[in-house]
Amino acid sequence: MSWPKEYGGTDSSPMMNTIFAEEMAYRRAPGHDRFGTRMLGPTLMRFGTKEQRSKYLGSIAKGEIQWCQGYSEPNSGSDLASLQTRAVDSGDDFIVTGEKIWTSLAHRADMMFMLVRTDPDAAPHKGISLILVDMKSPGVQVLPIVNMAGVHSFNQVVFDQVQVPKANLVGELNDGWRAGMTVLNFERSGIDYAAWALAALEELVDYVNSEDSLVSPTKSDSNVRIKLAELYTEVEASRLMCYDVSWRQSRGEIPSSEASMSKVAASEAYLKVLDYGLEILGMYGVLEPGSNQAELQGRFFKMRLFYTSGPILAGTNEIQKNIIAQRGLGLPR
Amino acid sequence: MDFGLTETQELIRTSAREFLGERSTPSVVRAVADGDSDAITSLWKEVVDLGWPSLTISEEHGGAGLSFGDLAVLLEELGASLAPIPIVESTISSWVLERFGPKSLKSDLLPQIATGDILMTPAIVERNASWDPNSAKVVATRSGSRLVITGEKRFVSFSEQATHALTLVRTDDVEPALVVIPIWQSVSVEHTTLKHASGIPVSSLTFYEAEVPEGNIVAIGEGAIKATKELIAAGGVARSAQLAGLGKAVLDVTVKYTANREQFGRPVGSFQAVQHHLANMAIAAKQVNHLAHSAASSFSRDGYSIKAAAQAKIAASDKIATLCWTAHQCHGAVGFTWEHDLHLYTRRALAWKTDYGDSAFHKSKLADAMGL
Repeated sequence: MSWPKEYGGTDSSPMMNTIFAEEMAYRRAPGHDRFGTRMLGPTLMRFGTKEQRSKYLGSIAKGEIQWCQGYSEPNSGSDLASLQTRAVDSGDDFIVTGEKIWTSLAHRADMMFMLVRTDPDAAPHKGISLILVDMKSPGVQVLPIVNMAGVHSFNQVVFDQVQVPKANLVGELNDGWRAGMTVLNFERSGIDYAAWALAALEELVDYVNSEDSLVSPTKSDSNVRIKLAELYTEVEASRLMCYDVSWRQSRGEIPSSEASMSKVAASEAYLKVLDYGLEILGMYGVLEPGSNQAELQGRFFKMRLFYTSGPILAGTNEIQKNIIAQRGLGLPR
Repeated sequence: MDFGLTETQELIRTSAREFLGERSTPSVVRAVADGDSDAITSLWKEVVDLGWPSLTISEEHGGAGLSFGDLAVLLEELGASLAPIPIVESTISSWVLERFGPKSLKSDLLPQIATGDILMTPAIVERNASWDPNSAKVVATRSGSRLVITGEKRFVSFSEQATHALTLVRTDDVEPALVVIPIWQSVSVEHTTLKHASGIPVSSLTFYEAEVPEGNIVAIGEGAIKATKELIAAGGVARSAQLAGLGKAVLDVTVKYTANREQFGRPVGSFQAVQHHLANMAIAAKQVNHLAHSAASSFSRDGYSIKAAAQAKIAASDKIATLCWTAHQCHGAVGFTWEHDLHLYTRRALAWKTDYGDSAFHKSKLADAMGL
């Protein structure tokens, strides 16, 4: 949506895009490839070749292609620059061998954008490249991982001598760290969490006010009133931070520290709302979805487990705080 | 939604920063805290010349006609410099007077507030320290066309400098009324000075049959409650904007300190444990800033967002106090000394936390607005 018209977008501002993303998340609307539209697309516009842009941007805009993101490895999580998946030069192709992990939607993706090591002798950040890989290539194996909420959302992806055309290199060889980090900055806005948090909070307010709620504390209970008001303030504070990020993007800035702040604030606010939901539901709070006599369909329990991932994924909140301190406040490493 | 500054706001920020950097130094702040009221008077004269008290007064009444959102930019700077001057007291009084007062009272008082001839300060709270307008007990007895006021108001800021108090009273027929009472060198008004953490003069005011004409009534009955609620909300949002500026200032000095202070052969600010404290402070300062500006911008001549105003004061009260305590932790022993300026900020933050409703008060207001 925020894309330029020439790539099939509507040229709307990042601000409009955030409002759209917020609404999609608030309604829990399905079907929107965020990896393609929010992360890879803008990165290709900046770093991609003309061929790459014409080949992929149109299909991303139309929703014809599902992307996944190959960053984390079994031994490279927060320390992403230590990644070991190798791409070896073999004439017109790279031969890719290694493992990626925590890859969301790899089991449904057509393509992966991934970081690979192209120069093992260079300093960690300097020998990495960003490449695009067809998930149907021979040698790609997707192994499902079920998360603690019981959902198959991510995967381990094994690459065994996978041939990737050199035309699929994004940006310069060995300069993938820069392009790859740009992707992360586009990823980092916390607007989804802020929207989910608001929706969950409103659900709790309705629940507390409803006559039919089994364990609903009386709505005049001042502890409940004060706690919900406090959470509403947290959610609104994190929502404004997300808007600030897209406002900066609308002015052509690339947010780094602000995006990290919004991710930390919003992912934590969402968990606080979910935690309090479980507290209100009490004994019913631990009934799983599908259980008899579950209140609010056991959703708060499931979401609380599922979004344990919030402060962990896309750079843990601890890593985000390092970024805020070092890049935002200029403190020494 | 706009997170940048307009040209006017940019101008306000630059000139305020420059002026306050020179004139509201820690030594001035300390002098005022030690009871030097001349320092307040001379600083106040200068800011009157700069037009600060008249910023939000309409042009019709001799002001600049700027918005509450514009004012918030100035308030941030006042908070960052701990300026010991009654801008908030004066501005929210004139704001409420202009919104709710009768025409004659407005055209009489507002131009004089703009020129600095009148300085008005709110007197709302009483013995029970409640910001609930319905709990006011100071009595106003009708005597012909005059009101005779008796009783005590507490926690009145700058009462020694103020010429008038915007006071919530209860008339003898039990109707609440918001009244302008002249207090400057009045024989029927007694000031009891408090030793207040804010470091600015705060007193209790006792009225002994203080007489005011009926024309000094800004609002009466339900109108008085509504006007007082808006006064408290505006005060809370104004304090939030000041706290946002204060928080940013404390963050900045803490970053500077930790980036320079070395232990184990490296700056302590390079340790992750310290960096995460600072990142938390940065997030808190940003959040309070956003909420304060969002709330301030909601104020117009037609009303304001009750939710946004409450959220701003809740976050500012809780988060900036915590931010200051974290700053002390990051400063180590030196920040624990009287000599270091950090406690000036902390004292002010703790005082402003309670002013115009603490976070518990505003959480209750927000819960009401949420339909709870």
